[in-house]
Amino acid sequence: MSVTDVNAVTPTTRDVVVTALRDETQTWLFVAKTLLAFFLTGWLAMRFALDQPSTAMLTTILVANRQSGMVLAKSFYRAIGTVVGALAALVIVGLFPQERVLFLGALSLWVGLCAGGATLNRNFKAYAFVLAGYTAALIVIPVVNNPLAVFDGAVARISEVLLGIVVSGVVSDLVFPSHIRAIMRRAAREQYAHFMQFVERATTGKTARGDIEKAHLRFVRDAVTLEDMRSSVIFEDPEARARSGHILLFNQRFMAASTSLQSLHHLINRLQRNGRNVPAAALIQLYAPLGEALDIPIDADTSAKCILPRLDDARRAIGAHIPVMRASLQTDQDVQDFDTGADLVHRFADELYAFTDTAALLQAPGGVTGSAVRIRFTRGNDIYGAWLAVLRASMTMAVLSFFWIVLAWPSGASAMVIATVFAGLFASAPNPIKAVNAFLIGYVLGATASFICEFYILTHMDGYGLLIAGCTPFLMMGALLMAWPSTTGIGTGYLIGFTNLIALKNPMVYDPVRFLNESIAQLVGVGSASVAFTFVPSTIGSPWFIRRQFERLRRQVCVAAEAPLPGLIDRFESTNHDLFSQIVAQTVRGSDESRSLLAWALSVHETGRALIQLRYDLAAKHWPEGVHRAITPAIDALKNLYDSPTTSAYTQARDALIGSISQLNQFEGTQRLLVHLHLIRLALLDDKSVLADYMPRKKQSEEVGHAT
Amino acid sequence: MPREIAIAGVLIPGLLVWFLISLFLLFFIDMVIGRFGLYRYVWHPALFRLALIACIFGSIALLLY
Repeated sequence: MSVTDVNAVTPTTRDVVVTALRDETQTWLFVAKTLLAFFLTGWLAMRFALDQPSTAMLTTILVANRQSGMVLAKSFYRAIGTVVGALAALVIVGLFPQERVLFLGALSLWVGLCAGGATLNRNFKAYAFVLAGYTAALIVIPVVNNPLAVFDGAVARISEVLLGIVVSGVVSDLVFPSHIRAIMRRAAREQYAHFMQFVERATTGKTARGDIEKAHLRFVRDAVTLEDMRSSVIFEDPEARARSGHILLFNQRFMAASTSLQSLHHLINRLQRNGRNVPAAALIQLYAPLGEALDIPIDADTSAKCILPRLDDARRAIGAHIPVMRASLQTDQDVQDFDTGADLVHRFADELYAFTDTAALLQAPGGVTGSAVRIRFTRGNDIYGAWLAVLRASMTMAVLSFFWIVLAWPSGASAMVIATVFAGLFASAPNPIKAVNAFLIGYVLGATASFICEFYILTHMDGYGLLIAGCTPFLMMGALLMAWPSTTGIGTGYLIGFTNLIALKNPMVYDPVRFLNESIAQLVGVGSASVAFTFVPSTIGSPWFIRRQFERLRRQVCVAAEAPLPGLIDRFESTNHDLFSQIVAQTVRGSDESRSLLAWALSVHETGRALIQLRYDLAAKHWPEGVHRAITPAIDALKNLYDSPTTSAYTQARDALIGSISQLNQFEGTQRLLVHLHLIRLALLDDKSVLADYMPRKKQSEEVGHAT
Repeated sequence: MPREIAIAGVLIPGLLVWFLISLFLLFFIDMVIGRFGLYRYVWHPALFRLALIACIFGSIALLLY
């Protein structure tokens, strides 16, 4: 090798080292902060003479995260869950102090109800529910033979957990804080830029249907990620909290614009597939101004404010083009198709403008101008799924209590509590068995490490400084494992196992017999949680659950068809958004279920929105009696179709719709209503949509030709 | 001021009540500052907030006990 070669290589190697070091800095910072919070909490807990300093120390590990906002959010909900759980513990002990079956029954029921409540909430709120459940068990089980001690136990538990929370919060927010806010701002800007680039590409060139659907999927995932960050960032930064309503609005408008773009593209595709090229070409020409308006280099640093006037011009241009283009069309059918599409283009342009407006408002520095926006978000929850979670958690605990009573195993209580905790914590994970098993491996490693640490190292140490020195290497390993994304589960298990079993206290107790009994019991507990998930599988991802999700999605059309009108559009949009995010969170990326659920979601969204608009227009004006009579059967038939999709329901809906359209044509001035019905009909006849499975085996294209 | 307050027969330190009140105060001040974006004039917002709660709680406690 020549000398020049070496010279050329050296800087790159250095660059590599520097970059690697920069990445590693973050990891080591996390390790250092976790350890700092851990030992500071331990020291304070011992100074305050709390019963179990290890509980406080465990808390710092449970809430540890790289981002301060995450730590604060999790801490906040952990505090709520702990207090509620402690109150529940007092009530349960107060009710059945001497009746073990009723007592354990009530406890199981409480744990189950909390697990059920967790499924009805997202993010860290679910964690608060789970925690409220198992905190009760954690407080009650140790004092089962001495009920009078429950109050002291509850107070001790609350103090320990709160101490851990406060110290973690302070350490993570004060010492080299790493804020989600910057990440989120970047994400929101990128999300905006990506979408605008995509709109530009989609409105100027041709993009394949598959690509658009894929892009939509990505946008939905982006929106969900942003929503997750928003729910944590509000704890970290008061300025972000003041803007939280705007971020919600940003997301909702984003979803609305993205879905309208989908509808528009599907409509044009359908028209083209059915050989109706004249209206399709007219529509493509109609939305061209949007593409031109966005034909500037857009990246994450482009201000949304500069795009705003351009979009407004485009909107006005579209409005001016509509009557001209409409006049140039020859046949009635072309006009009908064009009207349907023009309505969508108009809506899309408005939504794009509103979205950009919100983006500009969010990007503006300084305080929030204008009043805070209030939007009510409705959840799309599955009440039966929640009851199933109640049943599973209660059963797990009841079965373990039964074993405990029958076997009279002294450490049984420990095993039971641990099993309850982890059965609850992992219930909402997409793949709980895998998660618990990784955790179990970590727990075994942690138990081994804590044995070595406690009996070979700590016995030679004296004082808190040396205790830190003795424990640090072991904890560091765990924190590092936790910091690497691929081994997070193992690392968490390791640290929890280590902290639980070493049970640091002042004065320290060295009791190998207790240690071995405890470690066996706790490992059995984690193992039984794994077994519980194998025998009573998690509902998430099961065929039953997916079928329920389909049903819930389809029921949205029924809501659109019959729910009271005031505020319906917001309720419909936000419930859809919530269902969307659940699908994204609970299905594996790129799986068949995820694809087919999203296809259904799009179909539901398209039909539902058209139905709502139809009903709004129907209510806005006084129509002759005949108009109502003409439309009602079509709405009912559509509701039936989405309620229970079958071939006969499909035929019925199609025929009812065609009937309504031909009846409405006899009335004057029903153009606005016809547009919506026409849109629904085109969606219904689309042989590439999810509804195609229910079409009678017959060539559909001729129907499209004749139907109008 | 009473050192301990009895709620349903449970003695609760009076300072705890005042601590909760200071937390609410902090939350309120925080909201106002956040609304007008004044944290941009502060070097370390988190440290500022911690100092603020220490000041509020400290002054209340010293004033009343």
